[in-house]
Amino acid sequence: MAAGLQVVFGVQKIFNLACGSFYALGAYAGVSAVGWYASAGGPPALFVVPLALAGLAVGAVGVVVERGLLRFVYDRDETFQLLLTFAVVLMMEDAIRMIWGTSPRSTSGLYLTYGQLQLLGATVPVYNLIVIAASLVIALAIGWLLTRTAFGRIMRAAADNREMAEALGVDMRRVYAKVFTLGTALGTLGGALVIPATAAMSEMGIELIVEAFAVVVIGGLGSMRGAFVGALAVGVLRSIAISVYPELEMLLIYLIVIVVLVLRPRGLFGGAAA
Amino acid sequence: MKRGLGLAAATAAMAVAPLVGGTYHVLLMLPFMAYAVVLLGLNLLFGYTGLVSFGHALFVGIGAYTGAFITSRTTIRSLEVILLSAAVLGALVAAPVAALCVRYVKIYFGMLTLAFGMVFYTFVLKFYRLTGGDEGTPFLRPSLLGHAFDAMPKIDYLTGPYYYYSMAVLGLATLVMWRIVCSPFGLCLKTIRDNPAKAETLGIGVTRYRFLAFVISAVYAAVGGALLGPPTGNVDPTLAYWTHSGSLVFMTLLGGFASFFGPVVGAFVFIYLQNWVMSVVPYWRLVFGAILALIVIIAPEGLAGLVTRRRPAPAERA
Amino acid sequence: MILRADGLRKLYGEFCALDGVSLTVDQGEFVSIIGPNGAGKSTLINILTGMTPPSSGSVRFKDREVAGIGSVRLARLGMARSFQLVQIFPDLTVLETLQAAVVSRLGRGTRLFTSLARDREVQAGALEVAELFGLAERRHVPARQLPQGDKKLLDVASAFALRPEIILLDEPTSGVSTADKTAIMETLVAASRRIGLRAIIQVEHDMDIVFAYSDRIIALHQGKVLADAAPAAILSNQRVIDTVIGRRAATG
Repeated sequence: MAAGLQVVFGVQKIFNLACGSFYALGAYAGVSAVGWYASAGGPPALFVVPLALAGLAVGAVGVVVERGLLRFVYDRDETFQLLLTFAVVLMMEDAIRMIWGTSPRSTSGLYLTYGQLQLLGATVPVYNLIVIAASLVIALAIGWLLTRTAFGRIMRAAADNREMAEALGVDMRRVYAKVFTLGTALGTLGGALVIPATAAMSEMGIELIVEAFAVVVIGGLGSMRGAFVGALAVGVLRSIAISVYPELEMLLIYLIVIVVLVLRPRGLFGGAAA
Repeated sequence: MKRGLGLAAATAAMAVAPLVGGTYHVLLMLPFMAYAVVLLGLNLLFGYTGLVSFGHALFVGIGAYTGAFITSRTTIRSLEVILLSAAVLGALVAAPVAALCVRYVKIYFGMLTLAFGMVFYTFVLKFYRLTGGDEGTPFLRPSLLGHAFDAMPKIDYLTGPYYYYSMAVLGLATLVMWRIVCSPFGLCLKTIRDNPAKAETLGIGVTRYRFLAFVISAVYAAVGGALLGPPTGNVDPTLAYWTHSGSLVFMTLLGGFASFFGPVVGAFVFIYLQNWVMSVVPYWRLVFGAILALIVIIAPEGLAGLVTRRRPAPAERA
Repeated sequence: MILRADGLRKLYGEFCALDGVSLTVDQGEFVSIIGPNGAGKSTLINILTGMTPPSSGSVRFKDREVAGIGSVRLARLGMARSFQLVQIFPDLTVLETLQAAVVSRLGRGTRLFTSLARDREVQAGALEVAELFGLAERRHVPARQLPQGDKKLLDVASAFALRPEIILLDEPTSGVSTADKTAIMETLVAASRRIGLRAIIQVEHDMDIVFAYSDRIIALHQGKVLADAAPAAILSNQRVIDTVIGRRAATG
């Protein structure tokens, strides 16, 4: 479901280990917002609104992380950027524990507020359809942003060739700040949106990062098209693996990641191999 | 000379620690010594070869699970056999992984090692019949040099014979690693770290040396991993998780990868700091994340130096 | 004949960097390759030293096909090189750099447990080269702290420490003051006699250096050999003077 949201990870040149943490943060914020909303007596049918708002609001943490930490290491080796996002993972994990405690949180009962639908012989909660629709809308919006707006062009240029973009007078630092914030907000929003379907756990970010990692690697760092294909491939493979041999599910994903990394270090759509 | 004195003092302090120190601190020394072995190996790759692995928890896991498997599934209890098996298994697993990984550098190397680490993690998590899944596998008390120590209370065993056994292993590991970094091989690794393209023109085959360094570091990680088991008596998948790999790199950075004993110091500081912070507030990760961020950002010359100072390979010029 | 290249072509996409270059280098020769920027000099050196495979053509070193076999194996066969942009090991000292080369020459790189400090052959070999290049006094200085001229010298010295039969120098005096240039060249020639080098190939822009030291000059232009002759004959070749030397002299 969150596949569409992962698209942006491809654009960020920094390989962000912390994206999973942002996702979890969004989820917890969503739970709190909905809880507050319900106790304030808002109509249940509109619970998506505070959910989404909460997701977007905590996306602001992206600004903090970018301004406070990441901007210092743009010129350094990627290994240090990776380490810094690892530091963020550590901090976020405890920050979440500090605020929300260690036990899983869920939005009791809201999941089925919108009822269920019979679809192709299976029972599908309407909420799932809403999330899928939202993912599509977001994916399309990002696609539009990237291909049709000036900012999108700058972003793609930056991903392609930083030096060139800089030479053309683009302030890379501002671009990175915006991209990172956008990525964070999408991550937190994604986390918030899936929350009615599951419970918020501190481990949930970890599951996501696995997927995001696979998506980004399979698709290629910094490639939009690749991220789409990667997301699709991971989704399909997971469902196949789950139905055939559940033990192999995650294993399979990693094996594919390794195969892709070995054969095409820059991903299937990442241009020429290194 | 100064280093020799410091080393002698540290050894003496470690030797008398169980006699004068409180049980709590002595018990903390056990994971420290195990991690010190792991990090000595990791730093051969990191500090001496210039490759940052985000998947070394894989080999720590292999060592720990080897010990757990042997003690709980067979009648063998000998720690010597366990350590040897861990080393051999570590090398066997490392060889194919290394062969693939060392062809890449920087972030691609990091991501590949991370992916391999996670393959192993999911393996131990999902194949619970073999590994006990997330519950883990018990690591029964191993015998040391043929002595079973079965009658001894666990604390006495750990702070007594096991402590000195760990110390001996660490001492031996340090000695061997010191020889390695002072050997012609060690020098070749440093040339590869500093400038792989130039090393090649001197006839130093970069992939071959990286491969060897990787396998050696994996053996160290596996031996250290096996030493981690007995104090807790149980081995679980978090040992193989990627954040554990990250912590290993963190410890190395904390102490400084630019020096031989830096990572050992890092392991010491990490473990004691972690315990101290945990005794004050439950959120040690928050504090440690902040420390790591500070180290990475403020990055004194020695820290950033290794990676940023490296010259790019000479581009093909027309 | 030590080195022979036939019909070397190198394409970078549409761009043809080398278009059918052939050359030979004989025992005892000092050959200079000259040409304006973009003539294909560095591409040629990179192909001759096995770092870049040619698109087509062959390179034979000591009657063995070596095109594209990589610098490691070529170094073992007895071909060494230095770089235009100085290549050093920033954190290694002068002596360590030279020791690495000697270790590699003696094939002792995979000795894991022997002490480097007690390997007399390596120690003596490295020190000898350091003395040869006047770097003995600074042998314990990390390479990155050396002045530019010494870095250049160290780059060349480490190639000599391999005791190669042939050495390819990519602009050995670029980025060095005029006074230092001659000093570097003198050191280099003396060292090559000392270690019994069989041939030197250099790419060089400084025509004073080129004409002072070369036995033969190969002029490249737009990926082709424009002229291949002794210095005196080159000087009387009007096309070379127009396309290579003249322009260079005119721009200083």
